[in-house]
Amino acid sequence: MARVLSYAMAINEALHIAMAADPDVIVLGEDVAGGGGREDQGIVDAWGGPMGATRGLITAFGAGRVRDTPISEMGFLGAGVGAAATGLRPVVELMFIDFLGVALDPLLNQASKLRYMFGGKARVPLTVRTNVGGGNRAAAQHSQALYAMTTAIPGLKTVFPSTPADAKGLLLASIRDDDPVVFCEGKSLMFLEGEVPEGDYEVPLGKAAIRREGSDVTLVGIGRTVHTALAAAAALAEDGVQATVIDLRSLYPRDDEAILSSLAKTGRLVVVDEAPPHCGIASDVAALCVDRGFDLLDAPVKLVTAPHTPVPFSPVLEDAYLPTPERVVAAVREQVGL
Amino acid sequence: MPIAVAMPKLGMTMEEGMVVEWRTAIGDPVTAGEVVVVIETDKAANDLEAPASGVLRHVYVAVDETVPCGTLLAAITAEADEEFDADAFLAAYAPPVGFESRPPDAGAAAPSVARPQVAAAEAARLARGAVPVTPAARALARRLGIGTSGISGSGPGGRVVRADVAAWAERRARLRPVAEGVALDVPTEGAGDPVVLLPGFGSDVSVFAQQTAALTARHRVLGVNPRGVAGSDAPADAGYGVDQAARDVAALIDAPAHVVGASLGAAVAIELALTAPDKVRSLTLVTPFVEADARLHAVCESWARLAGEVPSTSLASVLMPWMFSPDVLADDHVRRRIQRGLAATLARVPAATLERTLAGLAAWSGTRAGDLGRIAAPTLVVVAGGDLLTRDSASVASAIPGARRVDIAGAGHAVTIEAPGAVSDAIASHVALVEKGSHR
Repeated sequence: MARVLSYAMAINEALHIAMAADPDVIVLGEDVAGGGGREDQGIVDAWGGPMGATRGLITAFGAGRVRDTPISEMGFLGAGVGAAATGLRPVVELMFIDFLGVALDPLLNQASKLRYMFGGKARVPLTVRTNVGGGNRAAAQHSQALYAMTTAIPGLKTVFPSTPADAKGLLLASIRDDDPVVFCEGKSLMFLEGEVPEGDYEVPLGKAAIRREGSDVTLVGIGRTVHTALAAAAALAEDGVQATVIDLRSLYPRDDEAILSSLAKTGRLVVVDEAPPHCGIASDVAALCVDRGFDLLDAPVKLVTAPHTPVPFSPVLEDAYLPTPERVVAAVREQVGL
Repeated sequence: MPIAVAMPKLGMTMEEGMVVEWRTAIGDPVTAGEVVVVIETDKAANDLEAPASGVLRHVYVAVDETVPCGTLLAAITAEADEEFDADAFLAAYAPPVGFESRPPDAGAAAPSVARPQVAAAEAARLARGAVPVTPAARALARRLGIGTSGISGSGPGGRVVRADVAAWAERRARLRPVAEGVALDVPTEGAGDPVVLLPGFGSDVSVFAQQTAALTARHRVLGVNPRGVAGSDAPADAGYGVDQAARDVAALIDAPAHVVGASLGAAVAIELALTAPDKVRSLTLVTPFVEADARLHAVCESWARLAGEVPSTSLASVLMPWMFSPDVLADDHVRRRIQRGLAATLARVPAATLERTLAGLAAWSGTRAGDLGRIAAPTLVVVAGGDLLTRDSASVASAIPGARRVDIAGAGHAVTIEAPGAVSDAIASHVALVEKGSHR
């Protein structure tokens, strides 16, 4: 049975299920307990993080497994790596991916390297939940879509669900994966509602989802931009252009076959990414198509991305910054010559 | 049950048509056979008649809109108050069989975006030698074992896309071999005694679009695109002479055919009648010549030169005054329509073909003036009164024993386009007379 839940509540449900199923799963982060350490004052589960994703965990599983941390990303990410390497299955919340800069070493040089450097004798079943992307008027330091940075690090996995159902299933799969996973949560998707199956299920890492099928062009979206691509596909259909929309879901491992087999059918591909254009997922998917799909290309690959600038605070500018369905439609029109 | 009025397919090359005028208003009664709408193709304006009597209930395509052949234009119901849902009728409507412009196996690119684009093909032709071909198109061509050099692109900027290669391959599969390693693109339709159409210098069988439509009811009509024209092979070196063209045509003819040639096509027809008389049941020479004068040479020469340098739209505008009468030039609407069609035709003939064909024309000119008396086939000569380019048409008529002559007053050299009906009628009645055995 499925019911309608928000993306944030689907994440919350996944955390409840994972913690109930496995006593090794713990949750760390800023404000995840909403006042941990003040139980004596009766303050428990005040808000569950800025999006409410961890609400209810401390009352269900206790302060021993749901721990508020100081504002020290370096500290609690390092603690998470250590906990993971020594037998727990921690879920660490990095409130915004923009804070990666102050906490990179535990991910870049520890979590991603231990299994390799210890010849497989160590494993780091760590999940880092983190808010990504714009659209919430949160300005340049709280709106970035930095997932390309973690995707670029060998030894890390990075996923970004676009729907509530996938948020739940991908989070469960991420927590149970024996390697470190960066689990991106779309800041602008948190209140998106959708049908979510009940119970315990996993969406496998490394598998893209086909959200719509059409024979003229393949649109690849990532998180928020899956919805941009779907809106563009609906508009294109009115012009008689049928688009396939691929929801990448997993940035690494990436479902190259889904991309290439769709390209084989359509011959045209547009990647829609809210991150800036350089060294991004969009350019990486384009490179895949040119490399392994060269003979499939019936038009230039088009990238619809943000510009190479910080995310603007001005709502007018932020709206212009983020990819829109209109820009996707324009790219496709250029490809097909409409 | 409502009756559909659909965009017809009026010739082998017609892919789409434009609605020019609705003659009947919604809600007005129509009688079967009455003209309800005027449509326009690259070649001509055509009246479209009501397929049944009743009331015009809905119009789906507005004036000035261009739609593919088979598209639903309007609906007619028997009674004015008959129950009718315009949207449901459109949703349930399927184009008649034979209107699919795309071969069924042409790959995954949908017909929705595979519209022929004259402007795009144009850009490709201009970028001669550097026509962009997509990797997917190249890969398909490689798999099919064909080259991409003659393929005109329908993608943005004239880019050759996968669907173009698929369509080209489908077309090539229908090519007819005429000589060692040479096959011609010979669109064929209709059934009956064969009629062979031979277009003139620098043009393809589309110049006979109207005549083809008129003749297919009773004849198998073979439009012969010569070497280097449209989809026909373009061997690099020789073989563009009038004598070789006649041998190519002879190879296509299995039973004696009614041979119709215009201008240089008439030269080929004359050559064929002299060298392979058993292949020619009757001869129709439209604006023929046996001796190209200095003006014809000069026009063909500048034509060949400009084709390599300017877009075909510009080339068409230069050729218009030579090919058409002042009547055509004076009527803006007609001139623009004809010029559009001419430009599309010109785009299918590369400059290299023009240069080679011009050499063949020059070599042939004057060689057969003394042989016309030997032509035994019953002959019709169509003379255009305002023809600037083949001024000796009338003397060709008088030199061929027993030749009938039809004069089309005032018309320019491209008379199959300028006076399509008159030329169709002349050919049809000539062919009919010959078939009844009552010629002469």
